[in-house]
Amino acid sequence: MTRTLTRYLRLSWFLGGVGLHRLAAYRTDFVLGAGAFLVRVGIQTAVVGLVFRQVPAVGGWSYHEVLFLLGFSLLPRGLDHLFTDQLWELGRKLVQRGEFYRYLVRPVDPLFSLLSERFFHPDGLGELVVGAVLVVYAGSELGLSLTALQWALAPALVLCGALLHTSVKLFFASLSFWTVTSMPAMYAANQVSEFSSYPLDIYHPSLRTLLTWVLPFAFTAYVPSVYLLTGVTGLLGWLPLVTAGALALALAVWRRGVNRYEMTGS
Amino acid sequence: MTARLRRYVPFATSGLQSVLQYRSMFAMTTMTAAAGAAVTVFLWRAVYEGTPGRGPGGFTVADITTYLLVAQILQVLHTNRVDDEVAAEVYRGDVAVMLVRPVSYPVMRFFACLPVVGANAVLVGLPVLGLFTLVVPLSVPRPADLLLFAVSTALSVLLAFCVNLLTGMTGFLTTNTWGVRMVKQSLVAFFAGQLVPIALMPGPLAALAKALPFRGMVDGPLTLLLGRYDGWAEAAGLLAQQLAWAAGLSLLCAALWRAALGRLEVLGG
Repeated sequence: MTRTLTRYLRLSWFLGGVGLHRLAAYRTDFVLGAGAFLVRVGIQTAVVGLVFRQVPAVGGWSYHEVLFLLGFSLLPRGLDHLFTDQLWELGRKLVQRGEFYRYLVRPVDPLFSLLSERFFHPDGLGELVVGAVLVVYAGSELGLSLTALQWALAPALVLCGALLHTSVKLFFASLSFWTVTSMPAMYAANQVSEFSSYPLDIYHPSLRTLLTWVLPFAFTAYVPSVYLLTGVTGLLGWLPLVTAGALALALAVWRRGVNRYEMTGS
Repeated sequence: MTARLRRYVPFATSGLQSVLQYRSMFAMTTMTAAAGAAVTVFLWRAVYEGTPGRGPGGFTVADITTYLLVAQILQVLHTNRVDDEVAAEVYRGDVAVMLVRPVSYPVMRFFACLPVVGANAVLVGLPVLGLFTLVVPLSVPRPADLLLFAVSTALSVLLAFCVNLLTGMTGFLTTNTWGVRMVKQSLVAFFAGQLVPIALMPGPLAALAKALPFRGMVDGPLTLLLGRYDGWAEAAGLLAQQLAWAAGLSLLCAALWRAALGRLEVLGG
């Protein structure tokens, strides 16, 4: 058991290094990608700024509280992005073009084999850095002081959020084993995850239910942020259960999909 | 002239056929568009919630809801795949095959994208509009404004084509057109007024947004739809500005396309 774990950790470390080397080889691509990401977050922040030019509070949230939420939502997203970007390729073309078999012939778990192809995706690093900057800035403007328990829980909250993002992505990417390509469904789910950057209180009740219990993105940023900002636990108790449930469902769908995979004859 | 244009009709029909091959895609695009609209609609509705009558920028709650919803639908119409297809054909070198045909590549692309726009309007735009009328109250435009909006939307489609063609042509310069397209998408969404109506931007930013061509893609048509103009002169002025930008960008596309072909090299094989 421990030996398998150390082996996987060593492999991750090595393959992550390979990912970083690739980055250095295509420098302009990296700069363009990072620039695109900064423009996107910059515009998102500008929209929040323009909203708060009109009113002092939205759905009971002040400007800096919304900035905190926006920043926090980038942390689990970035952590997930750092390790699981290859799932997009699965949804897009790996099944369609019959290329998936190459992950089945390696002497490691197929899921690890798939994900490790693109470890340390640079966009994820950007999201983590920008998210942390926004959270620290908004937190200091709010004069936020966390209790010891909140400090201890914060990394776990980010990790659970990342696992939720991964679960949803893995679920929709695995659908491609049945539908050949599931890119549009992945896009739709990704668009829905954008809701998590703003307070849940402003949405229509049906949408709130959807984001809490169907595609549980509320748990990636809103629920943890409410806890860190106000100390109110609210739905926080559900977070580990929802994360475990989503992950179990996604892994089950993935496993069924891998088992029924048949290669194209070409 | 008509004989020359007729040459391009087959590209439009084949474009239509290939679009209708993947019908389930439209259901997913509808979901994506509805989710995108819901984010901005609910964010801004929270701002106008406490204000009865006309709030910031002279919008009522129903006005701002209509504005942001139709803005998202216009964005769907503008997603005509020209940017990624042109970029991909340029860096894969497939463009060489297109060049030996006795047609103009940009014009051919324009005709091929028209069915995409039409299909998006009918199969994505209408369902999203229908979905939202069930959930939130919208303002009903005057018939004359609806007519002006239709003309303005047609021009906005032309503007979007030019912007996407220019974006796709960056494939001549870089292979990471993904990054370029992301930047384009974010900047256009912002300066077109899709996320924040230009009337709600602070002075200098609004002036900049009004001067740029992207305004004619979202904020222009919606100003006409919601009747937010003073008399016919201003409405005509808005349309004239769109027309001028569309003509200017078309010329720019033609000139840059010619210049780019001069430096195009495709490997044989």
